[in-house]
Amino acid sequence: MTIPLDLMPPLMFGGLIIIMLIGYPVAFSLATLGFLFGLLAIEQGYFGPLFMQAIPARIFGSVLSNDLLLAVPFFTFMGAILEKCGLAEDMLDSMGQLFGPIRGGLGYSVIIVGFILGAITGTVAAQVIAMALISMPVMIRYGYNMRYTAGVLAASGTITQLVPPSLVLIVLADQLGKSVGDMYLGAWGPSIFQIVLFAGYTFALSIVKPDHVPAVPKEARTLTGWPLWKKCLRGIIPSAVLIFVVLGTMMLGLATPTEAGAMGAVGAIVLAVMHHPEFSWAGRRIFVIGIVACGIGTLVGIFVAQNVLFKIAFAITYFAIAWICVEAFRIAELRDLIKQGYESTMRLTAMVVFILIGSTCFSVVFLGVSGGVWLEHMLTSVPGGTWGFLIFINLFIFFLAFFLDFFEIAFIILPMIGPIAQKVLTPIVGADAALIWFGVMLCVNMQTSFMHPPFGFALFYLRGVAPKEVKSSDIYWGALPWVGLQLVMVALVIAFPLTVTWVLDGPSKVDLDKVRIEIPQTDLPPIDLGPPKMDFGPSK
Amino acid sequence: MRELLVISRGIDWLNARIGAVCNFLVLVAVLVSAGNAMSRYAFSLSSNAWLEAQWYMFAIMVMFGASYTLQRNEHVRVEIFYLMLSERKQLWVDLFGTLLFLIPICLLLARLSWPLFYESYQIGEWSGNAGGLVRWPIKFVLPAGFVLLALQGVSEVIKRAAALAGYVKIDAKYERPVQ
Repeated sequence: MTIPLDLMPPLMFGGLIIIMLIGYPVAFSLATLGFLFGLLAIEQGYFGPLFMQAIPARIFGSVLSNDLLLAVPFFTFMGAILEKCGLAEDMLDSMGQLFGPIRGGLGYSVIIVGFILGAITGTVAAQVIAMALISMPVMIRYGYNMRYTAGVLAASGTITQLVPPSLVLIVLADQLGKSVGDMYLGAWGPSIFQIVLFAGYTFALSIVKPDHVPAVPKEARTLTGWPLWKKCLRGIIPSAVLIFVVLGTMMLGLATPTEAGAMGAVGAIVLAVMHHPEFSWAGRRIFVIGIVACGIGTLVGIFVAQNVLFKIAFAITYFAIAWICVEAFRIAELRDLIKQGYESTMRLTAMVVFILIGSTCFSVVFLGVSGGVWLEHMLTSVPGGTWGFLIFINLFIFFLAFFLDFFEIAFIILPMIGPIAQKVLTPIVGADAALIWFGVMLCVNMQTSFMHPPFGFALFYLRGVAPKEVKSSDIYWGALPWVGLQLVMVALVIAFPLTVTWVLDGPSKVDLDKVRIEIPQTDLPPIDLGPPKMDFGPSK
Repeated sequence: MRELLVISRGIDWLNARIGAVCNFLVLVAVLVSAGNAMSRYAFSLSSNAWLEAQWYMFAIMVMFGASYTLQRNEHVRVEIFYLMLSERKQLWVDLFGTLLFLIPICLLLARLSWPLFYESYQIGEWSGNAGGLVRWPIKFVLPAGFVLLALQGVSEVIKRAAALAGYVKIDAKYERPVQ
């Protein structure tokens, strides 16, 4: 029996849906499907047996030896430490007291802290859990509407994945073959608009239904005046330092995104030690000396030269960091925290990267049987031209997000539609910005995958840590308006590409080039849209 | 059945040990990567060997850690229908899935990736970057990792079959991994 080549891609696509719904782990189901169709294609003579050799070469070349994917364990580890290091507590408590007396104040504080934490870490789980543990009981105590409470916490935790240095953006940049720096720059606009939307919704609610977001009575403040400000600063200063360590070093070209993740993880450990009551007196002194040395070193480096003094100063700083890390292992509680952190990180990393390995098996064969051409044909024949294409893709991802999480979407779907998006979107925003715009748009869209009832991750975490009196239905219904706000943001990004591209065209061009030199581009093999070919060598 | 369960426990023990090493590699990789960036900034000290060591550790973490992740049932699924099944039916899905999907595919991938390693080994391949590391040993993680994963698959099949036959009770409850 012969199967025409035209029929192979739709068969594979249909098979993909069926095999995933069985419920066996995605990574292995995908790989199996890829190989089954690979064998079928060999039998039908669409490519030779040697073609399958390309799969391990590609797993090694663009998955295992991929520097950017190394960011996955680093950011996950950092998130695991930060979740429990006390930073979120400090900020939520102080901001809550600061804004509490206005109507909706606790909501604003959650939104702001969510944004700040988002600019430090790259993972959603840590943030939703940490914020919900602290803020939920407080908001419920002061009579906030349960649904609003659940929604604002889930949405403000989820925004992490849009605010740089988000892991999603790194993965998207990798899969679309763009530089992470550009992706980050592009994401700032939408992430700021997004929190403005959230705050706007809270404000509207405080006018329409004031009893949903009541003001906290002034007497409830435990701190006022200077102690309150001091507490605010205690949360903000370490955050600012961490933001610099992660984002600043990356944007200045001092570190690659991967290294920035690693430094963030070390920074999180230092922060956890600082917050711990068992932090020794000697350690505190060394810490202060380290900070002073770092200040001196930086000043010398900027105003004089990177001379001996600069080197000595930084040697002292690094010694202090090393000392504090050693101290982290001496405190039993922190040692356990770190151990749990790297254990769960390892399993998550293996799981995520195996999805990519499975999808590599699938996509090599899919493209080998001209699946790219089929998909392009289908997507470009959507009525409405470019806008029709964008709306279709976004609806598609929105519905897919009910079943798949973002890693699966990014690894399975993106390699297929990336090249098509490049072609279709280039006329609108130019060749360079096309995939950045597209990637950020999908990133905004994929926020909803954390928020969809009943499978959304953020809701799931919320369920896990919420007090008993919060009903599941409250969490599900509460999430809906916020999913709506996220979709409004998707529409805005589609309608106004400038929200993403204004930074790319702007005066920051100089910085951008610097970043581009520093960040090693990933060697994704070119995605082959033509007839089957054997060449999967690295792209130029 | 008893002998099979002994084999299964042996495999579990082996992969758990290897998993523990992989766990630790996460921390080592973080420290190496951060240390590398910091020393490059202050002392202009950096080398390709350290850069490559990072992704070597990543490759080991992924390929050798996947079996332990499987043991812990933490490979992500599309669970929309899976969760509606009874516990016994879930065991059946896992049993057949492992027998028909996981084990054959891992053996096939191990077979396909062997030449990748062997050719590299024969020429004693080194990194193309100046001051890089020797390359062929890291290519070994591909076939080795897939074989370990297939082994873990065998262990999972034994455990599921034993549970279905009522020999043992196992905790095969699936929860979405936290991310």
